[in-house]
Amino acid sequence: MPSWPEKRTWIGSHATRVDGPAKVTGAAKYASDVQPEGWLYGMILRSKWAKAKITSINLDKALKVPGIKAAVLSREGERTVRYYGEELAAVAGTSKQACLDALKAIEVRTTPLPFVVREEDAREESSPRVWEEAPNLSKPSVNEKGEVDKAFGECAAVVEGFYTTPVQIHHPLETHGNTVSWTEAGVTAWASTQGVFSVRDGLASSLNVPQNQVRVICDYMGGGFGSKFGPGIEGGLAARLSKAAGAPVKLMLTRFDQALAVGNRPSSFQKIKLGATADGTLHAFEFENYGTAGIGAGGSTAGGGGGAELRAPYIYRVPNIRVKQSAVAVNAGSARAFRAPACPPSSCGIEAIMDELAVKLNMDPVELRIKNDPSEIRQKQYRLGAERFGWNEKYRKPGTSPGAVKTGVGCGGASWGGGGNRRARAEAQVNPDGSVEVRCGTQDLGTGTRTLVALVAAEVFGLTPDKIHAQIGDTRFPYGNDSGGSTTAPSVCPAVYDACVNALAELQKQTGVDDARGANWLAACKKLGVNPLVASGQWREGLSSSGTGGVQFAEVEVDTETGFVKVKKITCVQDCGLVVSKLTCESQVNSGIIIGIGYALYEERVMDRHTGVVLNPNFETYKLPALADTPEIDIVLMDMPERGVIGIGEPVTIPTAAAIANAVANALGVRVTSLPITPARVLAALGKTGGAA
Amino acid sequence: MNKSNSEAGFSVSRRAFLKTFGTSAAAAAAGQLDTVAQGLSKADAEKLHGPGPVPITLNVNGKLLKLELEPRVTLLDALRNHSVLTGAKEVCDRATCGACTVLLDDTPVYACSKLAIEAQGHAIITVEGLAKEGRLSPVQQAFVQEDALMCGYCTPGFVMSVTALLKKNSHPTEEQVKTACAGNLCRCGTYPRVMKAALKGAGVSTTSNTEVISYAKLA
Amino acid sequence: MRPFAYATAFTPASARELIADNGCYLGGGIDLLGEMKEYIAEPKVLVNLKALPGLNKIEPGDKVWTIGANVTVGELEDHEGLKQTFRGLQQAAAEVGSRQIRNVATVGGNLAQHSRCWYYRQRDVYCLKKGGDMCYARNGENKYHSLFTGNTCISPVVSNLAVALAALDATVIVQRGEKPQRMTLAELYAKAWDNPTAHHSLEHGDLILQVEVPVQRRRSSYLQVSEKAMFDWALVSCAAAGRIEGDKISQGRVVLGAISNVPHQVQAANDLMEGKVLDEALADKVAGAILEKAQPHSANGYKIPIARALIRRTLMQLKA
Repeated sequence: MPSWPEKRTWIGSHATRVDGPAKVTGAAKYASDVQPEGWLYGMILRSKWAKAKITSINLDKALKVPGIKAAVLSREGERTVRYYGEELAAVAGTSKQACLDALKAIEVRTTPLPFVVREEDAREESSPRVWEEAPNLSKPSVNEKGEVDKAFGECAAVVEGFYTTPVQIHHPLETHGNTVSWTEAGVTAWASTQGVFSVRDGLASSLNVPQNQVRVICDYMGGGFGSKFGPGIEGGLAARLSKAAGAPVKLMLTRFDQALAVGNRPSSFQKIKLGATADGTLHAFEFENYGTAGIGAGGSTAGGGGGAELRAPYIYRVPNIRVKQSAVAVNAGSARAFRAPACPPSSCGIEAIMDELAVKLNMDPVELRIKNDPSEIRQKQYRLGAERFGWNEKYRKPGTSPGAVKTGVGCGGASWGGGGNRRARAEAQVNPDGSVEVRCGTQDLGTGTRTLVALVAAEVFGLTPDKIHAQIGDTRFPYGNDSGGSTTAPSVCPAVYDACVNALAELQKQTGVDDARGANWLAACKKLGVNPLVASGQWREGLSSSGTGGVQFAEVEVDTETGFVKVKKITCVQDCGLVVSKLTCESQVNSGIIIGIGYALYEERVMDRHTGVVLNPNFETYKLPALADTPEIDIVLMDMPERGVIGIGEPVTIPTAAAIANAVANALGVRVTSLPITPARVLAALGKTGGAA
Repeated sequence: MNKSNSEAGFSVSRRAFLKTFGTSAAAAAAGQLDTVAQGLSKADAEKLHGPGPVPITLNVNGKLLKLELEPRVTLLDALRNHSVLTGAKEVCDRATCGACTVLLDDTPVYACSKLAIEAQGHAIITVEGLAKEGRLSPVQQAFVQEDALMCGYCTPGFVMSVTALLKKNSHPTEEQVKTACAGNLCRCGTYPRVMKAALKGAGVSTTSNTEVISYAKLA
Repeated sequence: MRPFAYATAFTPASARELIADNGCYLGGGIDLLGEMKEYIAEPKVLVNLKALPGLNKIEPGDKVWTIGANVTVGELEDHEGLKQTFRGLQQAAAEVGSRQIRNVATVGGNLAQHSRCWYYRQRDVYCLKKGGDMCYARNGENKYHSLFTGNTCISPVVSNLAVALAALDATVIVQRGEKPQRMTLAELYAKAWDNPTAHHSLEHGDLILQVEVPVQRRRSSYLQVSEKAMFDWALVSCAAAGRIEGDKISQGRVVLGAISNVPHQVQAANDLMEGKVLDEALADKVAGAILEKAQPHSANGYKIPIARALIRRTLMQLKA
């Protein structure tokens, strides 16, 4: 069984990102940047109605707009659209302006239908149905263990709460989209994607083109967070426009589109009851949730689906539980996996009720967690983190910090899978001049994959990373799995390692050099003559595993006169197995935490119940945290090389909002039970709404 | 189209011009003699351009970019879709995120909210114009060394904002860096490292707030 | 955006002629281009004002400062003298948008800016302010909306500068036809009180030329609360000004923004302060008078305690 070298130079080092220079100079070309010969601009027309019967869409006038080369419907015939923003048609033209004018010239005949956009409304029997054949609210799926009703009777302390989290939009900075060229020779798509093979297979299938005639390229992409798998409706439209126009079409979504139609994190409405014995051992847990995954949820299946189900009681061990999960459909875009799907909202619910229980038991919140969290890793992380954070010095009884600006602290834990995908492959090419190319059809979302590839190869060959040309993001390269679930590093690194180890062995065999690494490299390669050496590799057992923990602590300041919340500090203790690149690993931790801050304090999709529109399809009122909102972030990476590469992208975003919400509750002495924790919600929790005097 | 409009009376007649400046108090404020003289000579420059495409010359990174664009084309659109300068990114197109930040006479502005026709006559610098002969600028180097980037899509905008800041104030405080970068958003969460890179560009070293601890060595 | 013709004006008269019936003035462009991209505004002509002579200066004076309409908000923010003499105005300027916005946004444009109500700004909602039948915010999502209005529209005025200038008794000079009009800040926005389709009192073709700010040995301050730390619209903004002698305040003014269709100032509240010792108790009385007639909707009542806190804090800042 292979293993990582014990003595490591590049793996685990602070080497800088290999694509840094390309990104800081603007040389990096994203799908939105490429300009193949004769390219046209593409644009989508979307539904203005939350629900409507579309009787006809007339493209004639659009086709006559100067500069327009093609126009297609997203679907033929009469149909029902079910959310504000659903795709209707698309155009391609020689300029953005031509496309804008063409969209305005498309004539749509519709019959608007009754709709519902809020979860509380959609649950009612009398609500308009999103899907005609089933009620909006699904029957619950029920999971029971032990005898929960009896167990509550046995508890010394019981607490209850109702916690809600909003729909969160991914909003990667590069919008969804592709530049696609569909000719007789096949399809080439430059995609902003987390999975070049998922785009290839999706296009091949929807366009009826053989997979071997579809090539997808993703050299650089501007973020995905789970929402960019498959070509999407927009990819298919770009391809069809390209075919009709006889030219490549660049169809990137607008920021407005992003808020409507390409995924979101489902909301949650969690009713929780938790009981413990006198010494703080959790004994009974009852849970009910109904969130929405937009039109992706609904009554046809038990549990409701669409990704709205949560994990309950998540990381805690409780012998008697009853967990009821439903989901409710609304006329809004469906959910898609969003960085640690289900876990941040799950964490928000369970960590809130745990803190309530700690207060009731008069027990320290960290101790309560250590007592009931079976993970030895997390138990150690809590102890280490608490000391580093200064928990004992900072923790006070809720609401007891003096003055109008109150401070408080909170914490929470994470559990995530990650782990390697056995299908991952790679190829290493050693050239006679000593230069190296490593190819893997995987993606770098900003996670640093390209850098990991270079570091692993450098380690094996005893070279510096700048001698390695790490090539990724092309379906002509060996299969690398989709970048999701925190599986890229644990899939790609072993595959690349294997390919390089094989290449090294083959080089040594072919040239008769015993040890071709490092100082001997150039001489050995020269012996190759004219033929570069290519070796394959695949994921192998022993180099990666799955399962991470992680805990976070938050310190906040809340101005009780204005409701303004400021996060002062986050301490994160995170394990991720073997740290391959220290720098990119740390950046990932910052990344998850900052998205968690947005979830805690600023982000929520706001729908208007009367018109069915999204009211904040922009960054003005859908608020992302900025530099000034970023606290001091203190990170401890727990190096566990014996576990191999695991992946860190997701665990780090799981408990952040929960820890912040707990810190706010600790500061105020009352809890804001709905995220985001805006000044309005803080003041409401303090009973300070309305009243002039 | 524009030619007939200007002939039809959109240029200012001398009589109307003097009428404005004759009696009002506002005229006293607005009518310094030298500017009046300038104004008179510019009267024929007050013609309508467009709405169809018109010749537009942009001074970008020291080179002249000659284009034919409608007045409604923004500077960002001109750079990304009418030239090869795709460094400035379109992320929101609504002056809310900073990914399109370019320098106009050393001043950071949102290219998405500046009409190309209006950007004429100014020195425009984009991220492509910072490196000299393949050598990264100090700010670019600092971004790479401090890993102040992840997916990189917000990076050109941040690099421009920090470059502008350091040009104006070579020793900014953290608060001043926050103010300078308030108009730039990042979804990947590079902020802590952007701060480090900005301070590094100002010659201030910061310590890492990451510690790697071996789990095996924990009690 | 719809197609439009573009011209640069070199006199106010030609600017007026060039926009005719269907054109718009172009200042910094942040607000206007944003509306045009959503097809809320569809002018056929855009007239660049920034070459108008003499309107881009900040001119200090012993009795009055004159600030041209083309001065950028960033220039206000950076002006050392302004920071000393009119601290509240400088603070208000520093909170406008982001640095990139302040570098191009003009004083005139900031005062003349249109509603930020998310129903008004929604491309597919035809609300009362746009000429439709209904104010959707009233029975809808109104957490950012007005506590005071004289009509059915509850979209608040959001200009930071308007609030600070109102507290400083500034006058706005507006070219209307051939004559300049002098307007107080209250007059500049008065029409928005009664008329749901109005953002302010400016008529088509009116051109803000400059703002005159009297020097009255007054201290001034400005604070706002937003959801984010920076680059975020105020939930409530507040400007205070007054003459401080010893521990007493005279000629006191307090103005609130983002909570009314006009900059909200209550004369009775100002009168309460005259000649009194400025302390927290007085500030709370003043707040009571200012907020007395507040009419919260379903989701914006929280603005009342924020306003109270800001009134106290801006007044206490005058003593500092």
